[in-house]
Amino acid sequence: MKKIFLMLSCSAVMLLAQEFNAPMKAYLNELEKEAKAQNAAFNGFDAKRGESIFTSKYIGKKAQEMSCTTCHKSDLKATGLNVNTNKTIAPLAPSANAQRLTDVEEVQKWLRRNFNDVYNREGSALEKGDVLTYLINQ
Amino acid sequence: MRRIILGCVMLASMTWAKNVPAANDALYQKECASCHFGYQPALLNASGWQKVMGNLQDHFGTDASLSQKEHDAILTYVTQNAGNSKLTQGNTTMRISQSPYFIKEHRRIPERLIDQPEVKSLSQCAACHTKAEQGDYSERTIVIPNYGRWE
Repeated sequence: MKKIFLMLSCSAVMLLAQEFNAPMKAYLNELEKEAKAQNAAFNGFDAKRGESIFTSKYIGKKAQEMSCTTCHKSDLKATGLNVNTNKTIAPLAPSANAQRLTDVEEVQKWLRRNFNDVYNREGSALEKGDVLTYLINQ
Repeated sequence: MRRIILGCVMLASMTWAKNVPAANDALYQKECASCHFGYQPALLNASGWQKVMGNLQDHFGTDASLSQKEHDAILTYVTQNAGNSKLTQGNTTMRISQSPYFIKEHRRIPERLIDQPEVKSLSQCAACHTKAEQGDYSERTIVIPNYGRWE
């Protein structure tokens, strides 16, 4: 009985952990290779670093201080708001919005655009991998 | 009979004056209207659209860059449906709100009704034009937040 209970709770934990689909996994592998090529000491993406990139304020493209959370908000399961246009943004957390982080081209496009908007430059492979690792668990 | 035809023509031209075809292109809706109001192509002339599409990396201060394929498809859609009427006449910029007709039509609106958080700027068509999504900008559809109807 104990064993069955243990197995059930294990599989529940596994179900809760978010996972990338196959194309996204392949993209993460590419980023990993790139990150390693740029820094031999690279030892994996880190959600904590990703969170810090996502929440840190920076002088963005519009020469105003902002962070990713300026529009996406701190609660990623909730609806965001584009501060420039007042348009709502569907939740970014995959747990609240199953379509998020499933389409490699979309993900690449938004990483390019939003790194430029917030950091006024493109993200490195390490930064992109860290942010995606943070977001997939939201 | 003649009178009926004349009436119809007048009615049609009145409707036409404040209406533009809805922006019904799926790619345009996805790539442009997901971030901001889906401005109908007829609100800007072709040269204005060429300016907009020529610098999506810095799209009014935001990176809105597209893949070449998406860029070309949207450029075709907006220029083929671009404005060619008094709405867009004399506008040499890439801003819809710089068209002389647009400026004239909005000149009497007090600043405080534009600056308020519910509106923010004259770029937010749908904040007051309740049927803007459908391309209907007629006066009877206008409701200004914290003010009411504008007729």
